Amino acid sequence: MAKVVLTNLTKRWGDFVGVDNQSLEIHDKEFLVLLGPSGCGKTTTMRMIAGLEDPTAGEIRIGDRVVNDALPKDRDIAMVFQNYGLYPHMTIYDNIAYPLKVRGTPKPEIEPRVQKAAEQVELTEFLHRKPKALSGGQRQRVALARAIVRHPQVFLMDEPLSNLDAKLRVSMRAELKHLSHMLQVTTVYVTHDQIEAMTLADRVAVMKNGRIQQLGTPDEIYNDPANLFVAGFIGSPAMNLIEGRIENGVFVTQGGFAVTKVEAPNRSGLVLGVRPEDLTIVEPGTGDFDVPVYAFENTGESVQITGQFNRQRVIAKGDRYLKREIEEMTGMSVDQKHLYLFDQSSGERIRN
Amino acid sequence: MRDRHLKYLLVLPAVIVVFATAIWPLVESLRLSFYEGRLSRPAFPQSFLGVENYTWAFLEEPAFWNSVWVTATYTFWTVLLTTLLALGLALLLAPGGRLRVTVQSLLIIPFAMSPALIGVSFRFMFNPEFGLFDAFFGIVFPPLATISWLSDPTLAFWVCIMADVWGWIPFLTLVLIGGLASIPRDTIEAAQVDGASGWRVLKDVTLPQLVPVLAVVLILKAIFSLKTFDQVYMLTNGGPGTATQTLSHYVYFNGLKYSQIGYSAAVAWLMVIPMIFLTYAYAKFVFQKK
Amino acid sequence: MALTGKQKKQSWNALQIVLILIAAFIMLVPIVWIAMAAFKTHVDVYQLKLFFAPTLENFKTVFQAPYHLEQKLFNSTIVAFVTVVLAIPIATCAAYSFSRFTLRGQTVLLVMILATQFVPAVVIVLPFFVMFRDIGLLDTRLGLILVNLSIVMPFAIWMIKGFIDGIPMDTEEAALVDGSTRMQVIRNIVLPMAAPGIVTAAIFCFIIGWNEFLFALILTSKDAVTLPIGLALFKAEEGDLWNLLAAAGIIIMVPMFVLALIIQKHFVQGMTMGAVR
Ligand SMILES: Nc1ncnc2c1ncn2[C@@H]1O[C@H](COP(=O)(O)OP(=O)(O)OP(=O)(O)O)[C@@H](O)[C@H]1O
Ligand SMILES: [Mg+2]
Repeated sequence: MAKVVLTNLTKRWGDFVGVDNQSLEIHDKEFLVLLGPSGCGKTTTMRMIAGLEDPTAGEIRIGDRVVNDALPKDRDIAMVFQNYGLYPHMTIYDNIAYPLKVRGTPKPEIEPRVQKAAEQVELTEFLHRKPKALSGGQRQRVALARAIVRHPQVFLMDEPLSNLDAKLRVSMRAELKHLSHMLQVTTVYVTHDQIEAMTLADRVAVMKNGRIQQLGTPDEIYNDPANLFVAGFIGSPAMNLIEGRIENGVFVTQGGFAVTKVEAPNRSGLVLGVRPEDLTIVEPGTGDFDVPVYAFENTGESVQITGQFNRQRVIAKGDRYLKREIEEMTGMSVDQKHLYLFDQSSGERIRN
Repeated sequence: MRDRHLKYLLVLPAVIVVFATAIWPLVESLRLSFYEGRLSRPAFPQSFLGVENYTWAFLEEPAFWNSVWVTATYTFWTVLLTTLLALGLALLLAPGGRLRVTVQSLLIIPFAMSPALIGVSFRFMFNPEFGLFDAFFGIVFPPLATISWLSDPTLAFWVCIMADVWGWIPFLTLVLIGGLASIPRDTIEAAQVDGASGWRVLKDVTLPQLVPVLAVVLILKAIFSLKTFDQVYMLTNGGPGTATQTLSHYVYFNGLKYSQIGYSAAVAWLMVIPMIFLTYAYAKFVFQKK
Repeated sequence: MALTGKQKKQSWNALQIVLILIAAFIMLVPIVWIAMAAFKTHVDVYQLKLFFAPTLENFKTVFQAPYHLEQKLFNSTIVAFVTVVLAIPIATCAAYSFSRFTLRGQTVLLVMILATQFVPAVVIVLPFFVMFRDIGLLDTRLGLILVNLSIVMPFAIWMIKGFIDGIPMDTEEAALVDGSTRMQVIRNIVLPMAAPGIVTAAIFCFIIGWNEFLFALILTSKDAVTLPIGLALFKAEEGDLWNLLAAAGIIIMVPMFVLALIIQKHFVQGMTMGAVR
């Protein structure tokens, strides 16, 4: 069984820093998700673990072994690629059997294992076909089957669901979750889809510009963001971030608009974070503040109301039967228990 | 004007040119092949021989069969060696990086060299008295240093093959590098992660996906090998004796040196037959792409 | 001590670099060797010297009597140039039509055009030889140009078609909707957009025409002789005049190297007529 430990891992291309001096310990049997915007170094990190990219500096351990100098084939890993990387000239059976064949697994052992893997991803009817003759979702399963047919120490998955349509993605996500629960193998999973991250992960590492911003359980990431970036990145619609200062226990925006009471000492250069679901829509005059409605959107399960004061917009999530007209005044009240304060210049969370 | 008419009008000049400069001579050659066609006489009509030119080639002319043999072996070896070496070089150069890209761009140079000049250049290098090749052997293996390469039938044949292979490797390499670049990288990386060694990746994943491009390359090279003329003419002029006389050279000799136009046309047409198969195979690849 | 995977990879990479350098060396030797000969004196050329006092004498000699290479140079330039000037506009029109419309019998036509490229030149040249002899076109530049069209046209059509295929249709369609006629679209939109491709094809065809050997060998004898055939001038009774041959060789190959380097990106596409990428 294996944990994966990255120590001061760095990848540079010339002057460009892809991954910046990162350390990370992935526990045995843990499902760790690397989450972050495009270009933040998720794939690069994963490819260094796989041995497909040489780190510029730092150390990678899988289990108790330093694998920096090992070729991919000697790292005992399995990987699911974003475009699946299926062998187009081989049948599905041969695709799944390849990792076994190439590692010299005895012939009689191969067949039952391929069958079992195919069963686990519900592919048994397609074994004789070529990848070209499968749908996107089926190809995705082949890639999964090829990964699970062996019992590697670590699974690596680079946005395995990103090429599927929205509906299939949701159902494959559940299957993936089930499968990972059954298999109990250390997994590193790359995505920029936060729902995937939240639902699949034991822990999430949120990355930006080659650095891990926060490492924690989905719950921690969502409810206790370490900095402005994580706060703004996680959640949809995103957390309301309002610039301003605290004056005598009240958060006031640059334009002098009083938002809400805050129990904190006076200070300027702040950002107040409130999640839309922590803003309640109330009758004008009865909440913390009143704003004109800028936009009203009905998503079916709920409504979103965007209010605007000065140049600041705030979004509140409301009950699905709620109605507001544009330009109409509405009240909003803030859930005092779920307020986040950040330092505007450093972006760091201010805890009291 | 409507597109309906315009589209035919636009291709018309090209079709006329192709017909006049390629299709007509092809058909006319076929017609000539049934006539005696001696250049010493004025114009046609000359006496009609039917298939006699063909039977003559088949039955009475050992020189014809010699050329068939020379062309066949020449084609076999040049296709085989060029493809293998070009494949090796393409695999070496494909990964990119400054050195590799520089060498890739150098490849274009030998290819732009006129085949006739390649012939000259190799004749120069294989000169027994002051050629580079013998000088080279003079240093590494003196017993070979005094060989007169181009006077020995077998050696001359192999020098021709060397010159041909040298001239064609660059082009085939460039094509194969293009083919390698179009193989999805993740299939190769998947194989590496799946546990394949470098050699297994090549054998199981890279080469099978390169097959269509390799086939194109093989066919193209076979076509050009079958037609070979320029280099051989300049390098050995078919000699010594007829040791390196390819079919094109044989046709040239009979047609123009001995003025047997009808007979040459017949032999030339015999060359067209394998071309038809090769072209058919090639066209299949081109249109399969669409 | 066993090597780690990475060390094996590194040593393999070092070996690769050695192999690449050897390959590059082999590739350049015949060219460099003949290029050096062009600057050697008549004496040096027979002595395998690597270091010698370079001279430009050979380049003077080849342009003097009895060789007069400038005539051949002139012939080669005219023949290749006029062939291109005739072939490219015709090929461009056809390529546009093949690329943008569906014609009846299009596949057959395209395959036929492709196939003519593969016909042995000796087959093509025989009837032309007979005809030119009868109508007096033997040993004329015009005759050579006509025959050269047979090899250049298919290349040009396929190559330019490839380039036009790569131009998205919507600009053209937008112009058509805005009220342009088809001819205006071709002139104002397609030609400028396809220009780099057309120039590439033109250069490519120029190289083919310039290097062409068999047609010129058979159809010319004195007045219309081109450079590659001109090489034969330097085969004297007493043996080949290698320094002069080499100088002529330089004159033949250097311009083509320059042209080839300009268009190298498209060489592969052109030569394989769309079969590769
Ligand atoms: N071979 C390379 N050479 C130079 N820069 C590279 C190379 N590979 C990646 N990069 C750069 O490194 C950065 C991180 O790339 P990476 O692929 O890890 O991003 P990512 O987080 O996976 O993004 P995405 O979500 O878009 O896949 C990017 O800015 C990318 O442009
Ligand atoms: Mg990525």
